[in-house]
Amino acid sequence: MNGKQPMVLVDRVHKFYQRGSERLDVLDGLTLEVREGEFVGLMGPSGSGKTTLLNLIAGLDKPSQGEVWVGGQRISSMSESQLARWRTAHLGFIFQFYHLLPVLSAYENVELPLLMLHLTASQRRQQVLTALELVGLADRLKHRPGQLSGGQQQRVGIARAIVTDPSLIVADEPTGDLDAKSAVEILDLLEELRKSLHKTIVLVTHDPRAAERADRLLHLDKGRLAGQQQPSPEGVPG
Amino acid sequence: MTFLLLIVKNLTRNKIRSVVTALSTMVLVFVCTLVWSILAFLDSVTAEQSQNLKAIVTERWQLPSQMPFAYASSLSEGAASDPDDVQPEDAMTWQFYGGSLDPKNRTRDNSLFAFGLEPDKLLTMMDELDELPPERKAELAAVVDKMRGNRQALIVGRNRLAAINKQVGERIKLFGLNYREIDLEFEIVGVFPEGRYDNAAAFDREYLLAALDAWPATHNGRPHPLAEKTLNLVWLRVPDMQAFTQVDQQIEESPLYASPSVKCETASSGRASFLEAYRDLIWGMRWLLGPAILVTLALVIANAISISVRERRTEFAVLKVLGFRSHHVLLLVLGEALLLGVTAGLLSAGLTYYFVNNVAGGIPFPIAFFQAFYIPLDALGWGAGIGVLTALLGSALPAWSARSVSVSDVFAKVA
Repeated sequence: MNGKQPMVLVDRVHKFYQRGSERLDVLDGLTLEVREGEFVGLMGPSGSGKTTLLNLIAGLDKPSQGEVWVGGQRISSMSESQLARWRTAHLGFIFQFYHLLPVLSAYENVELPLLMLHLTASQRRQQVLTALELVGLADRLKHRPGQLSGGQQQRVGIARAIVTDPSLIVADEPTGDLDAKSAVEILDLLEELRKSLHKTIVLVTHDPRAAERADRLLHLDKGRLAGQQQPSPEGVPG
Repeated sequence: MTFLLLIVKNLTRNKIRSVVTALSTMVLVFVCTLVWSILAFLDSVTAEQSQNLKAIVTERWQLPSQMPFAYASSLSEGAASDPDDVQPEDAMTWQFYGGSLDPKNRTRDNSLFAFGLEPDKLLTMMDELDELPPERKAELAAVVDKMRGNRQALIVGRNRLAAINKQVGERIKLFGLNYREIDLEFEIVGVFPEGRYDNAAAFDREYLLAALDAWPATHNGRPHPLAEKTLNLVWLRVPDMQAFTQVDQQIEESPLYASPSVKCETASSGRASFLEAYRDLIWGMRWLLGPAILVTLALVIANAISISVRERRTEFAVLKVLGFRSHHVLLLVLGEALLLGVTAGLLSAGLTYYFVNNVAGGIPFPIAFFQAFYIPLDALGWGAGIGVLTALLGSALPAWSARSVSVSDVFAKVA
């Protein structure tokens, strides 16, 4: 990928849902670009379309109109199967509520996405250990989610998101379920990952602390881009 | 971690539910194994053979068959009267004698049912005993040898021996149940090889015939009421169906068997005739009970898997986000059901096989002249098969539902 081509291009995207005779417009002709290595925050009131936009960028949903390109590939025209393969190789997703499998250890949870790739057991092991070391949980390999704190569970979630070495990481309110101290630790970790691994991060948040870490902050309102700003060191108004 | 390990771990997610589902599967496979074992045995004994087959001659119009013993000799020769007639390769007569150890308190445990026959025929004509491996055959031959020199010798099945609480070498007196006032004293000289005759007994027919002959001397010269009805069955061995047809024709056309008239049929056909009285029961077992168990089992599994799938919709969506394709999710759910079904089915069939055959001594299900049934080794395959079939049937819809989980629906916060 060259430096001129955006990592994410959302081009005049509409998304609406039909509820009986009523049409609910969630995204209304939205266009945006995210550069490679950029950390973009998405903010906006409830119902503004942040999560829908994130789902479109992650290939979890398809636009009603318009196109979505990620890493030079038009993911909005891919089949479900192609999208699943694409996600495995190119996307890391961090959830607000971690969504770790309770019956699996931290190691096994992080290993899950690698099961979809053609890797040997030793290759998988190497990648899992590297990911867990990066998030500071190398000593919690065998712990199950129930034995970890919220912050630790989210670290496992982040390790799972980066274990396949994706070019794009999307996060849906990753600090939304954490206490202040853990939230700061997670944001520090995301920032560190972006710097050291040069990942592109798109993050939906209501948390001003999370927003202030972003290179660029996009405000959505009623399915449109209402504005963008560079966060100041003093923080972002919530 | 592998896909299989993921399936196994998912089954530990709700241990109580998995255990209850597995136990339900085991119980139903157990019942199904019992029912199918009986049906499989009945199918096998009524299946026609084309070579080396056995024929049965019985009274034509009455059950139980009671023919005069005078028929025995000529029937054993297939009623052959001309040089061109076909003679059976071997023959055996059966006279049923039932007796109780206690004439005043007859119970199932102190009663004994025995075949009166020529002892040598135990080795050559009795089903299964005529096909014993050499070592066991030699053991039986030793017992038969003792019977040749002792008309009061009795060979007993091991379960029956245990039931009457006697041992080899002991003497017993049986008070006649079907032969009124014909009480016989026996010396137990051996046991049947383990298997089909565990609840049966056999003795030299000459002993019963002698007792019947002696009966008039103590009853004002009157013969015993069953004196002319003592021959119950004649077994004939013929090389093939053509020979059977010829022997059958000879017997049919012979003037020797006018009153009562007799019929000749293949052993399998004869057994089928016996089983005709149980036709509705067998039909019900085969077409109602068996399928009902399978459907119930499929519903049990469907219920458990459906609950699991409903609870894990978000998890399936997460797996899809992580790159799992729809068919991976489908296989994951099917795999859990299959693993549970196969494991429980196999375990249940294995335990049923062991306990019924080795501990309980067969299924006590007296039908026709079969006293007990045993679980065939094939049951292990049935258990696994039932597990696979019902797991597939029961989990197909829930698995499809899991496969169809829409990620955007699950994670949509707007709409």
